[in-house]
Amino acid sequence: MSDQTLSSPAPRLPAVPGVAVALGLLAALFSVASPGFLSAGNLSNILVQSVILLLLALPMTLIIMTEGLDLSMGAVLTLASLVLALIVVSTKSLALGLAGALGVGLAFGLVNGWLVSVLSIPPFVATLGTLGAAQGLALIVSDGQSVVGIPRFVRQVYSGEVAGLPMPILIGAGFYALFHVLLYHTRFGTYVCALGGNRDALTLAGVKWRRLLVAVYMLGGAMAGVAALLMTARMNAGHPTAAIGMEFDAIAAVALGGTSFEKGKGWIFGTLLGVITVGVLRNGLNLMAVPSSVQVACIGALVIFALFLDGMRSHKS
Amino acid sequence: MSIAGDISSSAPRFHLSKDVEQLLYRLLAAGLLCVALSVMTDAFLTTNNILNVLRQASLLFFLAAGLTLVILTGGLDLSVGANIGLSACLAATVIKVTGSPVLGTLAGLGAGCAVGICNGLMVAKLRIPSFIATYGMLWVLHGITYYYMAGETIHGFPPGFRQIGSGYFLGIPIPVYLMIGFLLAGTIFAQRTVWGQQIYAIGANPVAARLTGIPVDRRLILVYAFSGAMAGVASIVFLARLNSAEGDIGEAMTLPAIAAVLIGGASLFGGVGSVFGTFVGALILTLVLNGMNLLAVNASWQPLVTGVIVVFAVWLDMRGRRRT
Amino acid sequence: MSMSKLKRAVLALPVTLLASAALADGETIAVFTKNQTNPYFQTVRVGTEAAAKAMGAKVVHYIPTKPDSIPEQLSQIEDVIVKKPSAIVFVPVDYKAMVPGVEQINDAGIPVVNVTDRSAGGKFLAFVGADDYSLGLETGRFMLKAMGGKGNVVILEGVKGSLTSIDRVRGFNDAIKEFKDVKLLASQPGNYQRLQGLQVMENLMQSHPQIDGVLAANDAMAIGAIEALDGANRKARVIGINGTKEAVDAIKAGKLLASGDYNGFVQGCIGTMVAIRALRGQPIVGEVVLKPTVVNAANYQPYDVPLESRSCPSWADAAAMSTKTN
Repeated sequence: MSDQTLSSPAPRLPAVPGVAVALGLLAALFSVASPGFLSAGNLSNILVQSVILLLLALPMTLIIMTEGLDLSMGAVLTLASLVLALIVVSTKSLALGLAGALGVGLAFGLVNGWLVSVLSIPPFVATLGTLGAAQGLALIVSDGQSVVGIPRFVRQVYSGEVAGLPMPILIGAGFYALFHVLLYHTRFGTYVCALGGNRDALTLAGVKWRRLLVAVYMLGGAMAGVAALLMTARMNAGHPTAAIGMEFDAIAAVALGGTSFEKGKGWIFGTLLGVITVGVLRNGLNLMAVPSSVQVACIGALVIFALFLDGMRSHKS
Repeated sequence: MSIAGDISSSAPRFHLSKDVEQLLYRLLAAGLLCVALSVMTDAFLTTNNILNVLRQASLLFFLAAGLTLVILTGGLDLSVGANIGLSACLAATVIKVTGSPVLGTLAGLGAGCAVGICNGLMVAKLRIPSFIATYGMLWVLHGITYYYMAGETIHGFPPGFRQIGSGYFLGIPIPVYLMIGFLLAGTIFAQRTVWGQQIYAIGANPVAARLTGIPVDRRLILVYAFSGAMAGVASIVFLARLNSAEGDIGEAMTLPAIAAVLIGGASLFGGVGSVFGTFVGALILTLVLNGMNLLAVNASWQPLVTGVIVVFAVWLDMRGRRRT
Repeated sequence: MSMSKLKRAVLALPVTLLASAALADGETIAVFTKNQTNPYFQTVRVGTEAAAKAMGAKVVHYIPTKPDSIPEQLSQIEDVIVKKPSAIVFVPVDYKAMVPGVEQINDAGIPVVNVTDRSAGGKFLAFVGADDYSLGLETGRFMLKAMGGKGNVVILEGVKGSLTSIDRVRGFNDAIKEFKDVKLLASQPGNYQRLQGLQVMENLMQSHPQIDGVLAANDAMAIGAIEALDGANRKARVIGINGTKEAVDAIKAGKLLASGDYNGFVQGCIGTMVAIRALRGQPIVGEVVLKPTVVNAANYQPYDVPLESRSCPSWADAAAMSTKTN
């Protein structure tokens, strides 16, 4: 591995990635099968619904590229959302609430990063532990109840529009651009790629990779805080189980997008496609009124199918 | 990290003194928990409660033991919980229709094993990352099971069959015997057979394993089949214990089972871990829940306490291993 | 909709094949329930189907693929609004967090009936449900009376944070307070899961040598607790909630003392009847709060009938149960 140099990672663009094929097929199927699927309202609907997942999947891509995993994201989002709701209800200040949510996210990111990089606890176990901690704290601060009484203006964050475009889509696009630049056009991005499978080179280059790893997990925590803002605005409430399990959706979307669990191979545009593909599938199946149990099976089949196509391609090459 | 160590690290390992030392370190966290609990409540250190903990741990262990082999190869099987649901519902149906617990048991084991083989084929032949292949399988299995069960339950099985889950022999619950049996069989298989050693080698370095002529694909299919079959075993014990099958019967078990394997000292990168370690991991998780119930810890605090103890146990184990 | 007429004509065939529900004669009622694993919601769904069938309408079910997922139900509402069903019968996965979703339905002008859990906001044609608190209270009282008003009891809680569990457990606790000689030993979470109910009960039996009664927040945990008691050769009175088929069988076998029920089937029936009647301009009721039934050895017979062969109450009977009229 030592013959590899620390070059900027070129965006990985396979010929036709499995996720793009899956997305194309699904879009074609639903536009034929379900009137209304292709309407502007519904397409915007799909994008808006996908944003919260995207906000988690973007940092998850980076974390997975470091050969890590963050299972605590859904629980941290939930806790951050409750803290945000409690602060906004008592102070009426969205800025303070957001600061609280980001603080919760960053704190959990810091703990995750510390456990993984300094104590060398496997990410799966470390973040499984913090998942429990965040879930427990969410129950404790909320006493198991929804937090309501949030001023209506908070909802504008989710349901408002700027220049005719829904707010969540703008937020999602902004963060997507940010992560794209961060990964492909900064030194940080180069190092993140090297964190997966090329740590020796980082050490040789004099980079303090443990701190870097902590920073990656903190980025994940902070994004959970941002997602908490949208989630709270969407429900106009905080709820102690709101986003439980969402980390697995995020991981699936990242993997669907072609990011590999080994050696720092990440593809941030693939993650975007992965998130949208899941959104299209769920929306289309709902429009077709497919029974829930069949939907469940379809989601599994889609994930396998897309990765199967990717596997076929890498077989050939 | 990905290509960790050389292949010699996975050569047969029989340094008794070192093994015993490792074993003791592995038991350290569980031991500390036991001591703490015996101090805090009189109800803990009684024969009944110890048997109770062992029986509860056995359900987790069946699942985690199969998973251990998968994780040894550097893979993961997220579908085990959903597999329990499907296998249990199928076994329950067969018992109800044919009236034969033997056929039902075979159906449950067969279904579990078949699902495992599908996972193995996806991972070995289609080269789909195991995390995704089995995550997809999880949803597919849930879909089929929910569709088939339509929110209903199947309950009421013959008393003879129920002995598997709730019976006793010489004062010790049957599932505990099963657990000890699988613990011995699994340890011997992993440590003393050629196939077991090949599994360690595949996890330590898949490329080298292939080059040295190990039939990697066939071994991979084998471990996933084994993991699926163990989910089948768990489903039968569940069924016999609970006297009832429902679609989400094993849903809450997947993450604890993976956690048990990792607490037991296995690495998700493969090549490291043991069935005995997994047994200790399952024991620790069960002890935590048992202790919280005995001490009547407030429901809200329970996930927090579990999370902290899991991280602490792994940290302790890792420190212990670094010393040896 | 910007599709050309030609395109529509070409698309007509697969559309009729795949979306037959939407194009069928009669009204289409979209029914939202919380999950596909709890038998209770299956009884609600069968109730809506029975009512719709009797009145010549169609039912389409929307159930989160992840049990009780708030984001997923919100998304499903957004998706269903695109389809514009005639009316919606709505069980919120959370009564507070789903309010924005209900308001979206209101904005889209689709009439909606609230069933089972009372939403904290939004406009509804009617509410049809029961309250979990009195269900817990009545069922708890029934058992404590059967115990002669004295003894040691434990509570098995549902999912912490779910409204149903909070209210049922509050009902249990208030029932216990009414009996001075009843002592609450522990209140522990079994998360509505059978296995957890069983294991928590096994653990509680270790620290409490004498347990006379178990109040479980649902039937699955109650049955789990019974298995634990049987396994340890101990006896205690056990109650559950939901009146499931399995609970009725256990009552018949003398293992379960009682199961509190507010009849999801009837709730589904009346909710759907209200929706269809409103669409047809017939008079409706504004609220039906069903009285909790404590299903026990004396009155289980009506529950011992397969769901599919039960029939909805007549409108006159339903209207007679109303607690508020429009």
